[in-house]
Amino acid sequence: MTYVEWLRVRNALRVVAIILGVFLLVAVVLRISYNRQLATDEIIEHISSHPHTTTHVTLPGGVPRTIITYPDDGTVITIDNVGWGGRHVVVTEPLSHHEDIHQITIGSIHAVQTRSGNKSVTTFDTDAPAPFYFYMAVADVIALIVATVLAAPFAREADGHLEIAATKPVSRAAYAAGAIGVDVAGIVLASLMTVVALLIAQAFFEIPRVDFSGVSIQVVLMGVAFPLAWYAMLAAATSSLRRGYGAVLGFAWPVVLIVVTFAHVPLGDSIFGQVINHFCWAVSRILPLTYANFQFNEDQATGQIIAPGNFGLRVAIEAVLFLVYSALAVAQWRRVEA
Amino acid sequence: MSTITIKNLRKTYGPYVAVDDFSVEIPQGCVFGLLGPNGAGKTTTFKCMLDLARPTAGTVLYDGVPLVPQTFERIAYVPERSVLYDWMTVEEHVEMQRRAFRGFSPKIAYDLLAQFSIEPRKKARALSKGMRTAVMVALAIGRQADTLILDEPTSGLDPINQRHVLNLIINESARGASVIFSSHQIGQVERAAERIAVIDRGRLVLEGAIDDLKADRKIVEGIFPSEQYALNGIAGDPRIGRVDRSGRIVRLLTIDGAPEFVAMLESLGATGVRVVDLNLEDIFLYAVSPADATADVVEGARP
Repeated sequence: MTYVEWLRVRNALRVVAIILGVFLLVAVVLRISYNRQLATDEIIEHISSHPHTTTHVTLPGGVPRTIITYPDDGTVITIDNVGWGGRHVVVTEPLSHHEDIHQITIGSIHAVQTRSGNKSVTTFDTDAPAPFYFYMAVADVIALIVATVLAAPFAREADGHLEIAATKPVSRAAYAAGAIGVDVAGIVLASLMTVVALLIAQAFFEIPRVDFSGVSIQVVLMGVAFPLAWYAMLAAATSSLRRGYGAVLGFAWPVVLIVVTFAHVPLGDSIFGQVINHFCWAVSRILPLTYANFQFNEDQATGQIIAPGNFGLRVAIEAVLFLVYSALAVAQWRRVEA
Repeated sequence: MSTITIKNLRKTYGPYVAVDDFSVEIPQGCVFGLLGPNGAGKTTTFKCMLDLARPTAGTVLYDGVPLVPQTFERIAYVPERSVLYDWMTVEEHVEMQRRAFRGFSPKIAYDLLAQFSIEPRKKARALSKGMRTAVMVALAIGRQADTLILDEPTSGLDPINQRHVLNLIINESARGASVIFSSHQIGQVERAAERIAVIDRGRLVLEGAIDDLKADRKIVEGIFPSEQYALNGIAGDPRIGRVDRSGRIVRLLTIDGAPEFVAMLESLGATGVRVVDLNLEDIFLYAVSPADATADVVEGARP
């Protein structure tokens, strides 16, 4: 019954695949282009402008190690080439050179700075396990785009195809539920495709390792619930339209961003400003974007990234919004007449 | 039992009454033509029959029971305008039907598409209006449904394919299916349909078997010696549908008993009395616009 919706999803995913394919092609080109720069000696050429001595040794496990010593200030850089772009780098330098930074993680690049007497020891791992939220953040952007594209399944039927869609041997509610299910699958699949493409692109440069601990589960839940709630909201907004649903989809993001912004940014003490603030705040309560939150905190004691206390509630609200908006969309679809 | 029973159907859009107190029974296996001028309510009637528009009042029954989603397994519908998905290929439309309906035969559909010279790999947007109609007809016939509801099924088709669609309609009827169709080409309806209903401004104005309508309805024309003549109550006879006087000429549309009225006019002094047969177009015109129809019929009947 939902074959047409499957075709729409297929077409959307085909476009996603093309975009991800181009992204992978760029990654391949970059990999070839930067092949030379990834060699340890080339890296040294780039980072060493001061007089230094370079020593090459091989560790018992066969890992080549390069030691660069700067006699001027006693800085020592040890680079272990762990293969396929992976580097374990230890920089030992006078403490005054840098501020006291504990830990930074950007994708698979993991840096930890510690003190050792009057020295600062900074360890870089370029192929450390990458927290999953980095992948999910990119996947969510794609999922939101796909959700917006697919978000008018019923308006598209009402726009000249109702005689086909509404004369199938299935109730309108069941048909609508099926269409929403297909779109949900498409949105989730778009996220998965993006994650896989990121892993493949990463594999061009290093062995991909994913850290699925910490807030990853929460990130996945929010990363799925938010685009689905967004999709359902737009589906509900367009269900009874025959024309003009494209404008609703097109203006949805700007309008929602304005509303959410004005809900939180004070517009001054004037009555007009306060009315706008209050109005936008009230409207923003029913917008999925209000509850989307990827801002995590660092536990000062453990250095772990943790979710804010109300994160579970936010995910639950996104799920409720998805269900409520889906029900509204179905209810409107049942009333549509040719 | 009738396949389809429509009782007191009424559909309004605000103050506008699209269909008003429309009742008809369509027997099993019948080819039924629904005729009416533009905006008469034909398409709205079809939509109400299919629950695409909710009747304001009245009922539509299929084999005695109201329409439920499962009923659509037995009903195929070709709307007045193309509802194909422009971005889909013809074969994707065939696949769509195959997945939706148990009884759908892709082979029948593809055979018909070949007869209409339609390339299945073409996207719907690349098809002409007539080809789109042909695709819709092929998809409907492929359903092997018990009931076909065809709204202008020959719209945009060339005369050869129009004839082909008419033959398909007749074949479907021979298979036992009921076919309800509308067309502005009354000749086509006359060729294919056994029964007709004429709807005008939402109301049923005529209904019956074409042969019966043609056998019963005649124009009896009499010419009197002067313009001063009396009809002695003939106009009030329930078998008279309409009386038109034009100088010395009187024209009676008789619903039954034409020979009796010939005798009556002669007894009243008419010097020349004759009976003019009506074709379906005449009957239709009399039903929806009697004044226009009279002149045409009489003009056509004069030697």
